[in-house]
Amino acid sequence: MVSQKGLLFDATLCIGCGACYEACKERNRLPTTATHFLEDRLSDQTYTVVKKRGGRFVRQLCMHCEVPTCASVCPVGALEKTAPGPVIYHEERCIGCRYCMLACPFGIPKYEWRKILPRVRKCDLCADRLAAGRPTACAEVCPTGATKFGDRQELIEEARARLRAHPQKYVPRIYGLEEVGGTSVLLLSDVPFERLGYRTDLLREPLPLLTWQVLQKIPNFVIVGSVLLGGIWWITNRRQEVQRREREERDRRRSFEESSRDLPEPPGSSSTSDLMDSP
Amino acid sequence: MKWSIRRPGFWRLVFLVILGAGLYSTIVRFTGGLGASTALSDAFPWGLWVGFDVLCGVALAAGGFTLSAVVYIFNIERFRPIVRPTILTAFLGYLLVIVALLFDLGRPYRIWHPLVMWNPHSVMFEVAWCVMLYTTVLALEFSPMVFERLRLERPLRILHALTVPLVILGVILSTLHQSSLGSLYLIVPEKLHPLWYSPLLPIFFFISAIALGCAMTIFESFLSYRAFRKRLEIALLADLGKVIVVALAVYLVLKVQDLAGRGALAQAFEPTYEARMFLAEMTLGVIGPMLLLSVRRIRTDHFGLFVSALLVVLGFIMNRLNVSITGMEASSGVSYFPSWTELSVTFMIVALGFALFGLAVKYLPIFPEMEREVAPPPAVAVLRRPWMGTTPLVLTLGGIFFVGALGLAYSGLLHRERTLASWPRLEEEEPNIAEGLERLNIPPDVTFPQGEGSLGPVTFRHASHIDWERPDCTVCHREPFRILKIKGSAPSPPARDWHDARHCGRCHDGKTSFSAHEECTACHQP
Repeated sequence: MVSQKGLLFDATLCIGCGACYEACKERNRLPTTATHFLEDRLSDQTYTVVKKRGGRFVRQLCMHCEVPTCASVCPVGALEKTAPGPVIYHEERCIGCRYCMLACPFGIPKYEWRKILPRVRKCDLCADRLAAGRPTACAEVCPTGATKFGDRQELIEEARARLRAHPQKYVPRIYGLEEVGGTSVLLLSDVPFERLGYRTDLLREPLPLLTWQVLQKIPNFVIVGSVLLGGIWWITNRRQEVQRREREERDRRRSFEESSRDLPEPPGSSSTSDLMDSP
Repeated sequence: MKWSIRRPGFWRLVFLVILGAGLYSTIVRFTGGLGASTALSDAFPWGLWVGFDVLCGVALAAGGFTLSAVVYIFNIERFRPIVRPTILTAFLGYLLVIVALLFDLGRPYRIWHPLVMWNPHSVMFEVAWCVMLYTTVLALEFSPMVFERLRLERPLRILHALTVPLVILGVILSTLHQSSLGSLYLIVPEKLHPLWYSPLLPIFFFISAIALGCAMTIFESFLSYRAFRKRLEIALLADLGKVIVVALAVYLVLKVQDLAGRGALAQAFEPTYEARMFLAEMTLGVIGPMLLLSVRRIRTDHFGLFVSALLVVLGFIMNRLNVSITGMEASSGVSYFPSWTELSVTFMIVALGFALFGLAVKYLPIFPEMEREVAPPPAVAVLRRPWMGTTPLVLTLGGIFFVGALGLAYSGLLHRERTLASWPRLEEEEPNIAEGLERLNIPPDVTFPQGEGSLGPVTFRHASHIDWERPDCTVCHREPFRILKIKGSAPSPPARDWHDARHCGRCHDGKTSFSAHEECTACHQP
């Protein structure tokens, strides 16, 4: 079992130097997109930004959810949660429906709108570096330790320790511990998270459960529905058949009676008696 | 077939103009990409092509599965004459949805991927499979009309034997598909406005699709009657009107109950953009036609039935656009209006739908073979009050609902800017230069010695360079900022050296700024 990696971002430690931003650009070979990094926003060419909000510097990047909404909604499985933590993108599968962008509760996936054959772009938690046993580029360059890389479980312990050590300083909460079922990127802050631009009204349980509750009923629905409809058809069809046969029988008997009024009664029409139940 | 050149009539001209604009937009779409051809953005990834072309196009099929179930499964034979037009509509609806998807998908040539790359947890995966399977079923259900025309007996017999299983499969797939389009939005509880977001979305989508299916059947029967003098089964269509009343009533009750249950009912009456659009949708598509159609005199009247069906169709379109666009706008932080390219492609697809329907009606046995008589007089003697015929009544009532809805929508648009602006926004802090100058310890101006031939001494003002628009300190002073790993600078020093006078300590000496050797917590975690 690979231990799950993650990042811990502490807004009280970030000095807003932008080294993580530059390191991300360099590692992903992305072009310059803003005159100053604080003014940049996430895009197909920017996977992480540093923002000044609520009097603090705060990073924004893919949260790498434990149960990622984007991966759950992708019809072709182009997004995948890997065991070491990163949610990665399989470019060759993507059909470009952009459901991941609609569904992501953090608004992370971005699209190459200007390209003829566009791709979805987002932070991949430096999956290749992780595989080589190295930390993410942003954590490696962070001069203050505001972005810390490690095992998710250890980072949670670390965050709890910081909360315990300075209960009066921090907002008593680890963002990402429970949000939409937990994320690999965890946040600490001394100002309310919504002032940093992080929604605090997100559900506690993974969003994919919302659709799975409906989707898991499909097999039963198909079986029960088919049998039910088949049954209804059989009943209505049989009823019509019976009515038709009865009518024929009646006509036949009438013509028979008319043509042979003198002859004795025939020995009963047993062949159709089983059809005569219905009035 | 007569394709001789004729003087184009008005509608033919309109069609050609729409087609021309659409084809131009098609070229723009496939040579410039989605960015060049749509108003979509990272914040608003789904627009008109999904909201109208796909969500509404799929619902066109609802008449097909409802009526084929009624006729083939429930064996209610008298509806048989109008089954074929509904199946044709359904088939065309699905074909056009696929066309629209080819426009909307970023990589349309991979549209087949869901066939082999499975993700059963995705609603979109279910949608994709429903589209593929039900298009196949509809093609099979539609094909007898072609085979009859070509007088091919063998395939007809095979298809006839397959009818019931096909219909059952069609009903199941269609139910899944209509509802799954609603399920698509179950995953965005924090993005879709509470007037539309509901755990019952799949059920709402299903019920409203049935109402729309019946309304479209009525609508196109009338158009075919007008255009081709096809026989009008007014009694049957009036019965469909009854079905619409029931479907809409169920919808209304569920909707109100759902809103009340989630505590969102009061929001419908607030003066906001969303609330007004919601009320307009309900007036136009639910309450209006329900009231109109529950009046027998209107239901059995040509004009009354047509107007009511039209209201249902318009209200339905509004509902789907509200779910996909109006309800998503506020949380997205941007306002979306489709580009003309998106609009013209949509118009082209609708026009193609009309054209194909017309061609099919003209050349295939879709409607019951017409007897060259004018529509038979209504079986029931209609007691006309001298002071009020049915047409003025319909015009009055329908007009009230239509104008009312229009007014509501208009007032919604008036509230648009304010509503969208009042949605909680993030405070982006702009650099405050005055404050920065006061607080920061900006080095003094540097005057460079005047060189030979220079017009005067050059003064560099540090204070003018704290503006974010200009290069920051690291551009000129690379050396002290080596820990930031600026491109082109020497490699980052080992962390133990950072406090030195060469690096952080250069300014953090306790005089220029706080001391790197004393105030540890200013940089380091406690």
